Amino acid sequence: MSGKAQVTLIIDGREVAATEGEMLHDAAKRGDVEIPVFCYEPKLGEPVGACRMCLVEIEGIPKLQTSCSTPVRDGMVVHTRTDQVKHAQSAVVEFLLVNHPLDCPVCDKGGECPLQDITMGWGPGKTRFTDKKRHFQKPIELSPLVAIDRERCILCYRCVRFSQEVAEDEQLQLLERGDRTFVGTFDDRPYVAPFHGNITDLCPVGALTSYTYRFRARPWDIEQAGSVCTLCPSQCNVSFTVRDEQVKRVVARDNADVDDGWLCDRGRYGFEMFSAEERVSGPRLRAGATGWEEAIAKAAEGLRAGGAASAAIVGDASNEEGYLVQRILREALGSPHVDSRVSRGPGREVLLGLSRPELSARVRDIDDADAILVVGTDPLHSSPILDLRVRKAMRRNGARLAVATDRPTPLDGGAEAAARYAPGEATLFLSELAEAVATTGTSSSLGGRREESGLSSEAGGADSAKRSEEVPAVADVLQSAKRVVVIWGERIGREGEGALRALLDVAAALGLADKEGSGLLEVPEMTNARGLREVGCLPDAAPGLGETATGKGTEEIRAALESGEIKSLILFGVDPLRDFPDTPAWARALAAADHVVAFSMFETPTTAVADVVFPLETHAEKDGTITHPDGRLQRVRPSAARPGDIRPNWGVLAELSLALDHDTGVISQPSAFAALANEVPFYAGIDDAAIGGRGIRWQDLPAASSVPTAGEDAVPPSERFAQEEPKPTGDRSQAPLRRVASEEGVAASSLTLGTYRDLWAGPITELNPPLRFLAPQQRVEVSLADAERMELKNGDEVEVAQNGTSLRARVAVKERVAEGVCFLIEGLAEGNANGLLNGSPVSVTIEKAG
Amino acid sequence: MSDLPLDPALTEGRVPDRVPEGVPELHEVGCPPELKERIEELMGRYPDRKSASIPALWAVQRLYGWCTPEGIKQAAAVMRVTPAYLESVASFYDLLHTEPVGSHKVAVCTNISCWMRGGDELLDAFRAAAGGDEDIFVTGFECLGACDIAPMASIDERYFGPLEAAEAATAIEQLRAGEDVLPEKALEKRPLAGDADA
Amino acid sequence: MPETRILLKHAEDPELRTLTGYKRYNGYGALERAYRELEAEEVLKELEDSGLRGRGGAGFSMGKKASFLPRGGGMNKYLCCNADESEPGAFKDRELMQRNPHQLIEGIAIAALAADAGHAFIFIRGEYDLQADILDAAVAEAYEAGYLGQNILGTHRDLELVVHRGAGAYICGEETALLDALEGKRGNPRLKPPFPAVQGLYGGPTLINNVETLANVPRIVAHGAEWFTSFGTEQSPGTKVVSVSGCVQRPGNYEVELGIPTRELIYDLAGGPADGREVKAFYPGGSSSPVLTGEEGLDLPYSFEDMAAAGSMLGSGSIIVADDRVSIPHMALRTARFYHHESCGKCTPCREGTNWTVKMLERVVRGEATPMDLDIVASVQENIIGHCLCVLGDSMAMPVGAMVRKFREEFEEVIATAGEENRIAAVQGAPETLGAAT
Ligand SMILES: Cc1cc2nc3c(=O)[nH]c(=O)nc-3n(C[C@H](O)[C@H](O)[C@H](O)COP(=O)(O)O)c2cc1C
Ligand code: SF4
Ligand code: FES
Repeated sequence: MSGKAQVTLIIDGREVAATEGEMLHDAAKRGDVEIPVFCYEPKLGEPVGACRMCLVEIEGIPKLQTSCSTPVRDGMVVHTRTDQVKHAQSAVVEFLLVNHPLDCPVCDKGGECPLQDITMGWGPGKTRFTDKKRHFQKPIELSPLVAIDRERCILCYRCVRFSQEVAEDEQLQLLERGDRTFVGTFDDRPYVAPFHGNITDLCPVGALTSYTYRFRARPWDIEQAGSVCTLCPSQCNVSFTVRDEQVKRVVARDNADVDDGWLCDRGRYGFEMFSAEERVSGPRLRAGATGWEEAIAKAAEGLRAGGAASAAIVGDASNEEGYLVQRILREALGSPHVDSRVSRGPGREVLLGLSRPELSARVRDIDDADAILVVGTDPLHSSPILDLRVRKAMRRNGARLAVATDRPTPLDGGAEAAARYAPGEATLFLSELAEAVATTGTSSSLGGRREESGLSSEAGGADSAKRSEEVPAVADVLQSAKRVVVIWGERIGREGEGALRALLDVAAALGLADKEGSGLLEVPEMTNARGLREVGCLPDAAPGLGETATGKGTEEIRAALESGEIKSLILFGVDPLRDFPDTPAWARALAAADHVVAFSMFETPTTAVADVVFPLETHAEKDGTITHPDGRLQRVRPSAARPGDIRPNWGVLAELSLALDHDTGVISQPSAFAALANEVPFYAGIDDAAIGGRGIRWQDLPAASSVPTAGEDAVPPSERFAQEEPKPTGDRSQAPLRRVASEEGVAASSLTLGTYRDLWAGPITELNPPLRFLAPQQRVEVSLADAERMELKNGDEVEVAQNGTSLRARVAVKERVAEGVCFLIEGLAEGNANGLLNGSPVSVTIEKAG
Repeated sequence: MSDLPLDPALTEGRVPDRVPEGVPELHEVGCPPELKERIEELMGRYPDRKSASIPALWAVQRLYGWCTPEGIKQAAAVMRVTPAYLESVASFYDLLHTEPVGSHKVAVCTNISCWMRGGDELLDAFRAAAGGDEDIFVTGFECLGACDIAPMASIDERYFGPLEAAEAATAIEQLRAGEDVLPEKALEKRPLAGDADA
Repeated sequence: MPETRILLKHAEDPELRTLTGYKRYNGYGALERAYRELEAEEVLKELEDSGLRGRGGAGFSMGKKASFLPRGGGMNKYLCCNADESEPGAFKDRELMQRNPHQLIEGIAIAALAADAGHAFIFIRGEYDLQADILDAAVAEAYEAGYLGQNILGTHRDLELVVHRGAGAYICGEETALLDALEGKRGNPRLKPPFPAVQGLYGGPTLINNVETLANVPRIVAHGAEWFTSFGTEQSPGTKVVSVSGCVQRPGNYEVELGIPTRELIYDLAGGPADGREVKAFYPGGSSSPVLTGEEGLDLPYSFEDMAAAGSMLGSGSIIVADDRVSIPHMALRTARFYHHESCGKCTPCREGTNWTVKMLERVVRGEATPMDLDIVASVQENIIGHCLCVLGDSMAMPVGAMVRKFREEFEEVIATAGEENRIAAVQGAPETLGAAT
């Protein structure tokens, strides 16, 4: 809205200032003139002017106009309470009530219903309608989570517009015509889509209600408490509806810098698992539950024994918690072995390169981007709200999209270029892209590169042959654009540091650092990954990404546990046996450990082998800060009571440190934050007040300049680029570029394995009755060609094996999966694909299960 | 909360038949080649492929007699839209049937001009003549744009009128026998009104 | 007074629908002239000077509307021929397409030149299967002969023309609903502004005209605007194909100069009501136009301006005559039922107002209403008018409102007597005959 001119108009005799092009309704609102609306919801895109509730009189125009769709003009004179307008408004309300059952006493919306309020404020005293109202079966199941009462529906179309124009799943539709119109789905199938819960927030009447909230509370005996959802890196702002200190509902807490006012169903219904039986409700030892003193003593004892041969891996943790864990390791135990990543990650130098403020994009930047590159991640599964954001940019702003992933994504459809690389080849892809961008990408020069990298077109299957067109196509989308946002998955780092150097090369070649509104936006593997790195949960970086004695990273810690080099281990909010690659190796590692202290929200395979288990708070109970992938510090606030014998985790860590004879000086959550802010120079000046309800990006503060810069050996990529003739910097040793399936002598039934973390894999569905129906079953996705060759059909049960280990899966034939590869889901209780991974791309065989 | 009825949904998780309702993949829907080609040809006519949705639904209806869920899914797979989208479109229009109908379609106009000249009686006569025959779909219809031949009917997409109630039976017999229906009452045969009895 | 046939000239010749037949009466002469000898601007000017008014209902100047389209520019522009003709009483476009398809195609090609549109569509209602087949054949011939397609007559101008069949929805005749339908969506009207001339089909500038409007174009270009204005009145130049139906002896399409006395249309041409009957009321411009009583209307000149002055409208130029046997309350119900059935449902007043009106009128004719209900009927019509997204709602409210106003006593009488009849009927268990429709 910055460049837009200011205008003034007169509404009901009052002068109101507005921005040109803004809708009359919104201008009036800021002038404290309320104009009733039903169908108008700017978040849904262009106004539709359907309900006619917002009619107003504009001098000079004979007919009444809909204020939701009329842009303000300078000098406009508007009347919202003349007899003509009042007459129209009460007429519309009367019409709306013609078919509305008025069953308010038994309606969940009662008390927070726009239709009720508007009827009171603008409607006629009573309706003159005496004939029969239309009848529908009520309420019926629109989805296992949402009930629809079609008699209450006033056909404002908000819900269907959400499905069409925001989620773009196009499943929820209007059926029939005229006053027979109703909201429904194809063939009465359930509406199952990752964002569908939003329609219950959007519906202005009681037609769409949430089963998880039905009859649970009445508006007058609940409170709303603002917090942040920590169930994925999107960190959406939420408001908990709390009754008797328990969460009853989660609704969006509109923050355009983070979530645009939407929630995914994971964030909306996830809270139902907080009360699962598997919840760790107090400290315990192998033997069973125990008191806090003993638990802390036992934990300290084992850690002291480990001493410098101790290690810690942090996952689901606030900044304060992560900060305290690394202090325990570094200060109390004198060990440098701390990490916050599931396997491999880049070293400090590269991290510093990636952390440059001028290279980091805001979530908001997506809205105004001319071009967007999504590489190495599927936002829908890894950071759902970004999927909506990218769609919005394309739909509203005409942004051009390029997608580059191993596995097809739902964004491919709208993408101008959708490139497929084989699992483990992100490094090569990015290197080629960097080159293509720098040398305005002629496919000939790429041809040469492919030869030397040993990629034979035909044997390499469809995608490496296609790459000669795909890379330039992606380059073409990005090159010309002024504002470019690159959304990248931390996952590519599993290939090794080379992938991230290549990413920096792309950023440099595109000159992102110097382009207004451009930059990199990471989709990390864990919610607070950025915060944890910045507060020192890294093997080679102290709080503030400072230099420090280099320790072991997650993968090396695992090896060291097996070899006995590391003896005791703190696992804070991680479950290696489910979430980390190479489950067998982790099982051996944990078995070999002398002492394992696990902080966990639920009992898991990992807590089962831990010596001491401490309970974790949920984001409805916790008090602490987290850092959004775009650098925004946000506050998680306690909204509900902690069940059982759970204590604030910052306190537990402080006590544990004391038990190890090291006083952290932390006596409260604020003091914990103060202590860490004091060690992270670029967090300077940030406090609770600054964070407030909306959070604050450290890059936007003066202190941002104090972020360390990369040293000698890591010349800023752009210059390195200028010097040498561009070449891929991918570390080939770690990521074999030859696609396994294409090698001679590999069985015809063998494919390169790619894996992904499904949005619904894990406790989120397993421990959550309302979401249980979404729990994915293991399935192996294969291309049409391979399915034909191997004589596999959709639904066939197969054995997917990789030297020795194997799992069961059902076949899912997918048109857009590339030939020669297949995909499995990580993190499942049954047949977890992590069991087949060993750090570098593997090839699997697929045999029909006998 | 005691004052409120308790909903079982709170305690048990529900499990639907979880058919993915996204855009179906072509290999899943068993689309007849001729239908696929037809729809692709139709999409080719328009600057935007979605414009082909009504013609595509016509093609489905021609093939299956009505817009069957399977047919809609097949069209959706070819057009790369959701079946829900196509069903929504189909259900908006009177000539596209999302429920089974007979292979012969008789639409009798009961709008103003035809009503003045016996449209209702003609409709009753057709209903009686068809006598619940599954294969003959008789329906009253809004103005078909042929008030000059009121009362009239559209029989298998061709116009006939003006019709005597008695002619309904004849027409139905001819339909069943596969003969030309009321040839002398076909609209095509009529001269311009001004030239009629000049 | 006889007809003045210009659009229907030679229409009696069955050969006319073929290219050879059409060329026999120097068909496509105007197209050749326009494409070979004239600039787009000249064609446009000719159309503006002719004062040709839209024949689809609104009666807006065709040339002026075409001039609203932005000139030049890289954007794609479109032309849509509105052949949805679904308003009760209207059947003129059907005749024009069936008997002389090439005249329309030629008009479209010339209009496209004037509007600088590269893509044209004929949106024809799905029920007009015969006429659509005829158009398909004619379009194929025109492509064959080089009047359509790439590089027309070697002038380096292109025009693609697609015949698009609707699927049964009156609302698709509303120009913005037509655009949505053509884009493959449900035929819901759009908010205006933006108007189609600025942002229409696929977001591009779009000219939308009725079949009869476009059919007039070739002769205007051939004989000039002056020739055209020599027919009709000053504000309603040209001839009009008028559909006359209902209680007349020779229902049909009659092409006359605009401005002739309505009586001549109804009596001299259409033969008037059966002997001994008289015109009680008539819709002068299709079912959307407020009815006029015989006394009010018969002696008015049949022109846009005179019908407007009489509080009604010429609309699509379709006269439906009700003689003294017709029950006005029942006619009101038929009218309301139609609009209720056809309301798209997008906006509240139309969706609920048409529904409510039908329910009330059904009670009226069943004798289950009170005179007070008639006041509610009237006020509901007022609550609809001017409050809807498009004018479909008004299209019911205006005629129904007019009927209640002008024939109030008859409504009250029906309430009284129908009540009687129904009680008797109920006793005898006689079948309910109303509601046969829909
Ligand atoms: C509900 C409704 C139905 C309409 N139906 C038609 C129609 O069937 N044919 C038509 O030409 N115009 C119809 N119109 C008028 C069109 O919106 C538009 O004004 C007209 O096609 C413009 O062409 P013209 O200027 O040549 O008349 C309708 C308008 C409304 C509001
Ligand atoms: S269900 Fe609710 S949101 Fe959807 S159309 Fe009806 S009233 Fe609007
Ligand atoms: S809010 Fe303006 S029309 Fe619905």
